[in-house]
Amino acid sequence: MSALWHRLFLERRPSLSLGLFRLAVAWTVGAHMIPSFFHMEDNYLATAFKTKNPSFFPIWLLRLVEASPDWVVSLWTGLFFVFLATFTLGLFSQASCILMTLTCYYFYALNDYHIGTLSFDILLVTLFLMCVTGYHGDFLSLDSLRRGKRNAYKRPQPYFLQRLLQLQLAWTFWYTALSKITAGGNWLTGNPHYHLMHYPPIGVVRDFPFREWLGQHPGLCYNLGLMLLIFEFSLPLLWCIPRMRAIGIALGVAFQLMLWVTLHVPTIFLFLFPAMMLLFIRPETLVQWIEARQAMHAAGNRAVLLYDGRCGFCQESVKRLRVVDLFGWVDPLDFHAQPDLSRLHPSLTAERCRSEMVLLEPDGRLSGGFDAFARFCRRLPLLWWLAPLVHLPGAGWIGTRIYRWVAAHRYLLHRNPVCATNQCALPGPPAGGGNGQNGGQGNGSSKI
Amino acid sequence: MLLRRNRAITWFVICWTLLFQYETLRASYLNPLVKRELPKLRLLFPPAGWIMFFNVDKAYGFAEVYGIRDGTPTLLDPHDILETKAVGYDNIHRNVLIGTLYPQRARQFCSFLKRKFSGYDAFLVIYAQYPDIVETPERILRRVMYRCE
Repeated sequence: MSALWHRLFLERRPSLSLGLFRLAVAWTVGAHMIPSFFHMEDNYLATAFKTKNPSFFPIWLLRLVEASPDWVVSLWTGLFFVFLATFTLGLFSQASCILMTLTCYYFYALNDYHIGTLSFDILLVTLFLMCVTGYHGDFLSLDSLRRGKRNAYKRPQPYFLQRLLQLQLAWTFWYTALSKITAGGNWLTGNPHYHLMHYPPIGVVRDFPFREWLGQHPGLCYNLGLMLLIFEFSLPLLWCIPRMRAIGIALGVAFQLMLWVTLHVPTIFLFLFPAMMLLFIRPETLVQWIEARQAMHAAGNRAVLLYDGRCGFCQESVKRLRVVDLFGWVDPLDFHAQPDLSRLHPSLTAERCRSEMVLLEPDGRLSGGFDAFARFCRRLPLLWWLAPLVHLPGAGWIGTRIYRWVAAHRYLLHRNPVCATNQCALPGPPAGGGNGQNGGQGNGSSKI
Repeated sequence: MLLRRNRAITWFVICWTLLFQYETLRASYLNPLVKRELPKLRLLFPPAGWIMFFNVDKAYGFAEVYGIRDGTPTLLDPHDILETKAVGYDNIHRNVLIGTLYPQRARQFCSFLKRKFSGYDAFLVIYAQYPDIVETPERILRRVMYRCE
């Protein structure tokens, strides 16, 4: 019993799934809350039509929130966006999650008319669990970049949080099905599907293909209802059986899509539930997949990044690059330690490597400075989100200038009092070739 | 240290599980069982458990708002009344307007309507109902819930 409990909740396992789930939660919160801020005068300010949820909030809290003047509401709006951004980026993940959740509660208490749905309650339950620990900041986050640990993706943490999220989803499915056949539910005694097919145009059912046809077959609708019940009861079991897990997740995602295509239900179901289903995938499987990709790159040709290994700022940057380079696509090399750069590429010179970082890709493509950074954004999956930004018109012009400034001041961007004049470098290992000494001395125009 | 952490996690898991089950079962199962309203944990969990689409009836009710100008009522598009757009679905189709029907919300909703539709002299807030969407899909019963002057 004790061993089972330990295996279920206490065992330390990689927490990368929670990092991915954090993004899904952030997206869901944003998609649910942000539209309500476009009409502040209708939803939250003194002119709004507001309703309260006294069964959820204590009365004293509702009164306190109700007394908010408009400027306080605007302030909370700003805070919401700040904390949503930091939570999304995984910056101080746990604190961000707590503060973002507080802002969600504030707006829920202020006016539950638009955002207060059953699905929002489900989201809040999920957010509460996410607030309990900061494990979701271990991967795909600025927190992991700050820590600079290369193996952040497999950092082991107690598994209880992921397990409780799995259980939350399973129980929600079971109890949803149970309430349809007990406690006032009419899925056995009535024909809910048949009624739904006849809903008026203003109703919750979308105008999807075969709706009219289904509406002419009450028997089929009833049986579809029964099948749906069996499906809702059995789906969580599929997630728990390793051999059936993939099918269960695929069916679950398809079910959520079907709901979204046929009904005007809050998209929280579509955004949050499939992501929760993915939490049933063993984190070790994801780690194995990542390491298989790393092994593949290691076995084949990897790209080479030539950087200034005598510059502390560059070393720190490379440390963070290793965190971002999840699949090990790049092999960073200190150019001072390369006896013959031309062996790597005929046009490579020490002069160029001193002036900017140089990326040499397996196909022989050479890029440097900001262009190399732009190539990283295209080649490293964790930087894909930056790719559209660095390819915007004018981004190259601005990026190149920023890069040059940073490169020119790179010896000042780390704590080394000896480099106050930007005329020196960290003492490094003796370089194999003649380039090392020049690189070490540097000059006023030295750039990474 | 490890033991303390494991103990804390164990307690959290037990408490969370009990609360989750209690709040899920309270409204529909435990209240009828003990024949009284059991206390609800505030600030977490929905009031009635996870009851999505649990009862779909033949009747369908919704709200209508008419703007009155020079004595002539005009049906207002609910999308003009509640302009907030949700991502991926239409809140109006989720029958969100029905929340305006409660008489205790009349004062606030009337001032909201007067601000948004200042060109009208008055408003009628109406409860409309299809008594049977299958047998008589064209039949709609209407009842004025309140009038905004």
